[in-house]
Amino acid sequence: MRKVFIILGLLAAILAVLLSVIPLFNLAFVPAVLALIFGVIALYLSNKSGASKKIIHYIFLLTIISLVYATYKSIFSAPEVVITEELKEKEIESEQDAIDELEELDIEGEDIIIDE
Amino acid sequence: MHRITIVLIFLFSFLMNAQNNAVGTNEKLVFTASYNMSGILNNLAEVTMETSEVKTSKATLLRLKCTAATYSKWDHFFKIRDLYESYVSPTTLKPYLYKRDINEGSYFKAMKYTYNHKANTIKTLQQKKKKDGTLWDENKTITVQSKTKDIVTTLYSIRTFDFSNMSVGKSTELTIVFDREEIKAHITYLGKESLATVLGKKPCYKLSISTSKSDVLKGTNSNIIWLTADENKIPVFATFKIPVGNGELKLKSASGLRH
Repeated sequence: MRKVFIILGLLAAILAVLLSVIPLFNLAFVPAVLALIFGVIALYLSNKSGASKKIIHYIFLLTIISLVYATYKSIFSAPEVVITEELKEKEIESEQDAIDELEELDIEGEDIIIDE
Repeated sequence: MHRITIVLIFLFSFLMNAQNNAVGTNEKLVFTASYNMSGILNNLAEVTMETSEVKTSKATLLRLKCTAATYSKWDHFFKIRDLYESYVSPTTLKPYLYKRDINEGSYFKAMKYTYNHKANTIKTLQQKKKKDGTLWDENKTITVQSKTKDIVTTLYSIRTFDFSNMSVGKSTELTIVFDREEIKAHITYLGKESLATVLGKKPCYKLSISTSKSDVLKGTNSNIIWLTADENKIPVFATFKIPVGNGELKLKSASGLRH
């Protein structure tokens, strides 16, 4: 049983570290909390049986790293920006193309404002 | 994101042939699109809805433009630059030309609809990118109902409707042409609600949207949109549920409003 919790704890801690370095860092908190729970259970079982606790320390270490990094990114992350240069170019190009297209259409009607 | 864009469309879609007293000519609405992952909302993209005047030698039309672009932090993972446009009558929002240009990672698709209101047909041109990078064109003329509109026009047409005289629970059927197919959508008016928005606390009209295409929007009363209960009737908040999860759209800024 102890080994199961150690494996689960390690997997969750590694997942938390991986998530914390990508833009989905908000999600790192979920496996990090799970890793802590599994780590505490594994630690309790190790204390009970007197087995080695070295690997459990790694679970806590990885979890703390992921939590600190994800928290840092949550607080200090740069404002969200959108790079729209190519989109702007496309918009201008598309409008010109649309005007050419509209010139060919019979759009004179009662609801259209006719230019003087 | 393609699904989110479709959802956006349905969330706003409402076909009305009323006079336009809500949509101005230099209006700009900016939204943040967020997606719910494991109960945590992540801001994915910025959605912009913008209007402007377009002059031809014969007439002055209104250009309705919607863009979706992922935030730069996501561009390395999946880059989205989508452009949707419709050229309509400024007074009735009757559409004449619709264009859609989708760039999602390596996927590209463009669509153009040219309306023939007398014959109730739409001349369509679809462009897709082949593996070798060249474009593949497909022309097709489709017959539609007289009140069928494209997604962008319906997106704006919702705002021309008089919700103040609508009874709670009233449902209206709409027909939208998307991907050269007519889709039925149902809009149900759910009453008024006050919402804290970027424009302050605003009384809003609450609407529920469902479609005949069950693979687009999921659940009942999961796809809701709130429009300000004033003369502008701008969308301020929307929640949606799609096959891959759920998300929301929140108004970030609004400028150039008509009233």
